[in-house]
Amino acid sequence: MTFNNFLFVALPYIAIITFVIGSIQRYRATGFKVSSLSSQFLEGRKLYFGSMAFHWGILAVFMGHLITFLFPTATLAWNSNPVRLIVLEVMAFTFGLSILIGLTGLFLRRLSTPRIKMVTNRMDLIIELLLLSQVVLGCWIALGYRWGASWFASDLSPYLWSIVKLNPQIEAVSAMPPVIRTHIVGAFVIIGMIPFTRLMHFLVAPFHYIFRPLQLVMWTWDRRRVRDPKTVWTVHRPKNN
Amino acid sequence: MMYQCFIVHKNIVGFFVAAGLFLFVPTGFTQELGKEIFTQKCSACHSIGKGRLVGPDLAGVNDRRSEGWLLKFIKSPQAVINSGDPVAKALFEEFKMVMPDQALSDKQIRDILSFIKKNGISSSASTPPVALAGPVPQHEIELGRNLFQGKVRFANGGPSCTSCHHVKNDAVIGGGILARELTTVFSRMGGEGVRAILGGPPFPVMQAAYQGMPFTDDEIRALVGFLQHADQEHAYQQPRDYGWGLFGAGVGGVAVLMGFYCMIGRRRKKQSVNQDIYDRQIKSE
Repeated sequence: MTFNNFLFVALPYIAIITFVIGSIQRYRATGFKVSSLSSQFLEGRKLYFGSMAFHWGILAVFMGHLITFLFPTATLAWNSNPVRLIVLEVMAFTFGLSILIGLTGLFLRRLSTPRIKMVTNRMDLIIELLLLSQVVLGCWIALGYRWGASWFASDLSPYLWSIVKLNPQIEAVSAMPPVIRTHIVGAFVIIGMIPFTRLMHFLVAPFHYIFRPLQLVMWTWDRRRVRDPKTVWTVHRPKNN
Repeated sequence: MMYQCFIVHKNIVGFFVAAGLFLFVPTGFTQELGKEIFTQKCSACHSIGKGRLVGPDLAGVNDRRSEGWLLKFIKSPQAVINSGDPVAKALFEEFKMVMPDQALSDKQIRDILSFIKKNGISSSASTPPVALAGPVPQHEIELGRNLFQGKVRFANGGPSCTSCHHVKNDAVIGGGILARELTTVFSRMGGEGVRAILGGPPFPVMQAAYQGMPFTDDEIRALVGFLQHADQEHAYQQPRDYGWGLFGAGVGGVAVLMGFYCMIGRRRKKQSVNQDIYDRQIKSE
């Protein structure tokens, strides 16, 4: 029981405190370095497919976990119709596979492209390996312990809420199969590592890009035509000029 | 003088109250605690002197086993079975299931054992047996089936059984595989055993899932009826296997997603802005 107390009581709090304090400290100390350090200029093709598959996958899967955690009753109501349950599970597994394919591609790209190797540090590899093992476990759970959308809502959501309410109830989570316990522990380890890795970029995701006016990139224009004073601006004029 | 008498009188009363507390309350308190824990943790599967349910009748267990063995076994039955203990292995063979580990302290277990010893046959903590005489009415089987797979929600909001359990039945969607398959649970445990588990789940995962959301008597009756029917009919059932189907659907889905990524990225800028300059430099070296 002591070991379980460490894994499911102490570790979550350590992870959350480290995440909050570490992120604030990193942003205060080196705010401009809070980034995913884009390597698009160094290699674009593999990045496009890896990044799209990984990011859309992780967004969908993360939102699925978050919604089930926040609204367990609504999730159970949705799952009460067998067809809806199967559709939800197939979609979750599909996006899980998308993460697996995308992340594997990104990891191989990082190991095999000389330009990317030059800008890779140790934490990049550690966090990618951690994420990779986490997604393998997630896919394994989706197939091997199916209807996770339902038992997450009825067992893991109450556990996570008990953590939030500072009254941890770990009996159920301690009795889960080892694969599921490892997946939960892995999630907390990753949360705790966020301030020390490039994962922190999700906190500064440029959501305002979605709503801002279009910016026209000058270098894709016909430069001779742009420089000609007689040329009229037929398109949106940049606002910073 | 009056005042001194009052003090002496108060001291004598105080002495008797304190002595009473020391002599009588701990035993009664232990009994109460033992009863409370037994009702919460044990009574779903065990009776005291009213016969076997899911597990053995515990009347006289203090005489049959040593306290040390009971302490070890109740804390972790699986560990005792794995250690090769012949009694634990025989129990496993007889009841075809392993009791879940109980997160109880030595003192709590002793309180339970004390409660069992004192109450013997006259305990009222065990679950009353369910009456399941004769065939189950069709409408009850239908209700049980719908409750099992969630088409009809439980009155108190608990999750459907398919979340974690599978039962081999053509009319039911393939159930979850987190917990044990229930196709033959009726043969294994009998109606009383199934009812006892539904009335007070002894398994931590099930306890957490239905905490504050117990089954109603009607729901328990319908579920037991459905499980009895499923057990009797399972030889004729050929439900769909979801294992590979789910995997295939996922692979198909991800192929569609990759096609979608290709489509929306068709007009993306495929090389860096100064790729021409870079290539020229590489060529001239």
